[in-house]
Amino acid sequence: MKKTMALALACLMSVGLLSGCGKTVTKEEPVPTDKPVVTDPVKTQKILKVWSFTDELKTMVLAFEEAHPEVKIEYTMIPMTNGEFQTKLKSTLQSGEIPDVLSLEAAFVREYVERDYLADVSSLLPLAKDLGTYQFTIDIGTYEGKTKAFSYQATPGAMFYRRSLAKQYFGTDDPAAIQKLVSDMTKFEAAAKTIKEKSKGNTYMVGSAGDFTNLFFANRKSPWVVDNKLVIDPKVEELLDTAKSFRQNGYEAQANQWQEGWFAGMNDSLVDAKGNAKQVFSYLLPTWGLPYVLMPNSTPKEVKAEGATTAKMVGKDTAGDWACISGPVPYQWGGTWIGALKDSKNLDLATEFIKFSTLNKDTLKNWATGVYTNEYLRKIDPTIGDKLAQGAGDFISSQKVAEEIISKFDDAATTKFLAGQNSYKGFATAAPNISLKLIQASDDAIQRSLNDPLANYASGKTTKDQAIKEFKDAVKNALTEIEID
Amino acid sequence: MITLSKNVELGKKDSYKINKKRYGYLFTAPFIIGFLLFSLYPLIYTFYLSFTDMTMMNKSYKIVGFDNFKNLFGDPFFQKALVNTWKIWILNFIPQIGIAMLLSVWMTNNRLKIKFVGFWRTIYFLPNLLMPVTIAVLFFNLFSFYGPVNQLSVRGGIMEGAMDFFRSTAWTQSIVIFVQWWMWFGSTIIVLMAGMTSISPTYYESAMVDGASTLQMFRKITLPLLKPVLVYILVTSLVGGMQMFDIPYMLTDGRGSPSGSIMTMNVLMYMKFSSNKGHIGVAACVGMIIFIITCVAALLIMKMLREKDPYIKKKKKSKIVKTVGGEM
Repeated sequence: MKKTMALALACLMSVGLLSGCGKTVTKEEPVPTDKPVVTDPVKTQKILKVWSFTDELKTMVLAFEEAHPEVKIEYTMIPMTNGEFQTKLKSTLQSGEIPDVLSLEAAFVREYVERDYLADVSSLLPLAKDLGTYQFTIDIGTYEGKTKAFSYQATPGAMFYRRSLAKQYFGTDDPAAIQKLVSDMTKFEAAAKTIKEKSKGNTYMVGSAGDFTNLFFANRKSPWVVDNKLVIDPKVEELLDTAKSFRQNGYEAQANQWQEGWFAGMNDSLVDAKGNAKQVFSYLLPTWGLPYVLMPNSTPKEVKAEGATTAKMVGKDTAGDWACISGPVPYQWGGTWIGALKDSKNLDLATEFIKFSTLNKDTLKNWATGVYTNEYLRKIDPTIGDKLAQGAGDFISSQKVAEEIISKFDDAATTKFLAGQNSYKGFATAAPNISLKLIQASDDAIQRSLNDPLANYASGKTTKDQAIKEFKDAVKNALTEIEID
Repeated sequence: MITLSKNVELGKKDSYKINKKRYGYLFTAPFIIGFLLFSLYPLIYTFYLSFTDMTMMNKSYKIVGFDNFKNLFGDPFFQKALVNTWKIWILNFIPQIGIAMLLSVWMTNNRLKIKFVGFWRTIYFLPNLLMPVTIAVLFFNLFSFYGPVNQLSVRGGIMEGAMDFFRSTAWTQSIVIFVQWWMWFGSTIIVLMAGMTSISPTYYESAMVDGASTLQMFRKITLPLLKPVLVYILVTSLVGGMQMFDIPYMLTDGRGSPSGSIMTMNVLMYMKFSSNKGHIGVAACVGMIIFIITCVAALLIMKMLREKDPYIKKKKKSKIVKTVGGEM
C-alpha cells in the first residue's frame, strides 16, 4: 500500500515537473514563429477608461467595442443617488488616476463644463450641425465658446395619464381634450380637485410633489445665481404654494419619488395604511421616463409573503391604459452628456468615443430603435448578462435622425403602451422649443437645498418665510461663496 | 586559536545582546510605520488642510488661518450639527448602558441562574453584525409613509391616519437613537459581562455572608470593580458617537432631513466635502473640531472616573491600565 502510494505520488510529482517543462517549451516555440500575429493586437490594443453613473452607457461602450475591435474599454459605474459619483470623480481628478471619458448628468454637467477639466471638442460641431443636433443639448455642453460635451439624448418633458381614469372623471380619454384641461398650473390644480372630488379621495392627481418641481424650475425667469447673488424667482413661491395645496388638499399621494409607494401607483398596487386601494392619475416624466420608468413598473409585481410557498402577484398590467400629453408647462428633465478629460492620454480615442456615441447617425438610430438587444450585445461580449438591452423609445439628440425614425414607432412597444399614440412624434415637436439658457453649475446644489424646506412647508410644519429662510441657509451651507440677502 | 574563537564568540554574544535589545524596535516597526504613514500623517495633513481654503474643483489654494474655524462657529448649521451629535449620542448611550447593565447583571447573577446566557447574548449582539447601510434602508422602509409601521398601527387602531415619520424631527431623531441603541447594546453587554465575570466570586460570597442585598452588592462591589470596563465603554462609545455617520446619512436624504435634525458633525463634514465645489479645507476643519472635542471629552471622562476613587487609583492602577490597554 505504502509503495503504491509512493509511486503514485512520485508519478504525480514527475507529471508536475514535466508539465512545467511542457509549458516552457510551448511558450518558447510560438514566440519566434508567430511573432507578428501574437504581438500585433497587443501592441495596438488601446485601453479607454469610461466612467458613468448608470449601466446605460455600457450598451454604448459595447457597440463601440464592436466598431473598434482594437479598443478595450474599462467601464466603471458609480451610482449618483446621493452624489457618490460626483464625489468620487472630484477626488479622482485631484489624485491623478483619471478616466478618459466621463458621462455627466444634467444636474452636474455644468460644473464640469464651466471648469477646465474637460477637453474642448468643438471640432465635432460641424458634425452636430449635419445631424441637426438640438441646440439646447449643445448649449449645455458649451462654455465661453468651447463645446466640451455632447449628448445622445434630448429630454423634453411630458405628462402621462391613465386613460381609464380620465374617462371616469372627465368623460373622455382624448389626449387633446385632457391637454386642454391641464394646460397651465391653475387648470392642473383644478383638474386635481375634480379628480379628488369625483373619486372621493381615492385617486390622486400625482404620486408626489416631486413630480412637478421640475416644471417650476424650468420656467423661471432668472437663473439661480446673478452677479454671485442668489435670486429666488417668483416661481419658487408658486412652487411652495402649489406643493402645499396639493399636500393639504390630498391631491398627491404623499409618496416619495423613486420610492416604493410612488412606483406602486403605476401598476395600481398602491394601498394606504388602512388597506384602501388608491390610484394615481398621472406622472410627469420626460422622454426617458416612458421606456425606463413607466413601462417597466406598469406590470404586476411578484410579492412573497413571509413563510408562503407561492408568490402573490400584486397590481395589474396597466399597459395600453396610458396616454401622453405635453402637460401644463414645457420643461426638460435630465439627460446624459459625454465629455473627455483634457489630461487623458487617449484624447483622440476619447473624442472618437464621443463622436461615435453622440454624433453618429447609425449609433443613434440603433440606440433609439432597440437594435441593441441582449442577443446583439452578447455577440460582442458574452459575459454581460441580460440587463443591458436598450429598448426602443429613448429620444435622441439629433433632429434629423429623430424625424427619420418617427414612423418606425407607429407599432413599437411604447406606442402600444400608450394605446396607439406615437409618443416619439410628440417629443419631436416639443424638443426644438426647449431652451436651457438658465442652467448653471450650481443648480443641482441649490435645487437639492430646496427639497427639505419644500417638504416642510407642504406638510404644514413651517410658514413660508421660515421655508424661504431654511432654503437660504441650506444654500449658504452648500455654496459658501454665493451671497445671500 | 582557542582564545581567538572565544573572543569571537564573546563578541558574537555582545552583538547578540545588543541585537536582542533592538528586537523591540524591529517588532514594533510595522505598526509604527503603518501608524506614521496611515494615521499620523493624515492627521497632520488634515490639520494643515483645515487652515486652507482648498476645494476639489480648484488646483490652487491659500492658507486662510483660523477663518474656517471662525466661520464654522458662527455657522448655525455647525451649531446644529454639534448639538445633534451630542443629543443623539447621549440619548442613545444612557439607555444603552442602562439596559446592557441590567441584562448583564441578570445574566451573571448566581441567584437568578438564567439559562442559555450565550444564546441571549448572541441574539442581542446580532444587529451589530448587519451593515449599517442595510439597517438604515430597512428602517426607512419600515417607517415610510406606505410602510408596515403605518399599516400596522392604523389597522390596529393605534393611529387614526398614516403618519409621515420622516417629516417629524422628533420621530426621525428617535429612530436614529433607537437604531444606534439597538445596534450597540449587544456589544456593550458582551464587554460588561466579561468585566462582571472577571470579578472574583469571593467578594460576593463574603458579602452574602454579611447579609448584603443584591442592590448593595451591585453598588459596592460590581460598580467599583467594573469602573475600568465602564471607562472603556464610555470612551469607545463617545468616539463612535462623535463620528456617527452611516445611519443618519443613509436614513433620509444624506443632508440630515427633516430640517437638519439628524445632521451630525460627520454628515456635515461629508456635506462640505461633497458640495459642488468640494470644500476640502472646511471639511478638514470640521474633522479637526470633531477630533479635538472627542479628545477633550475622552480625557475628561478618564480623569473624572479615575480620581473619584482613590482606592481604585492606588491599588488597581496596574489592573486598569491592563484592562483598558488590553481591550483597545
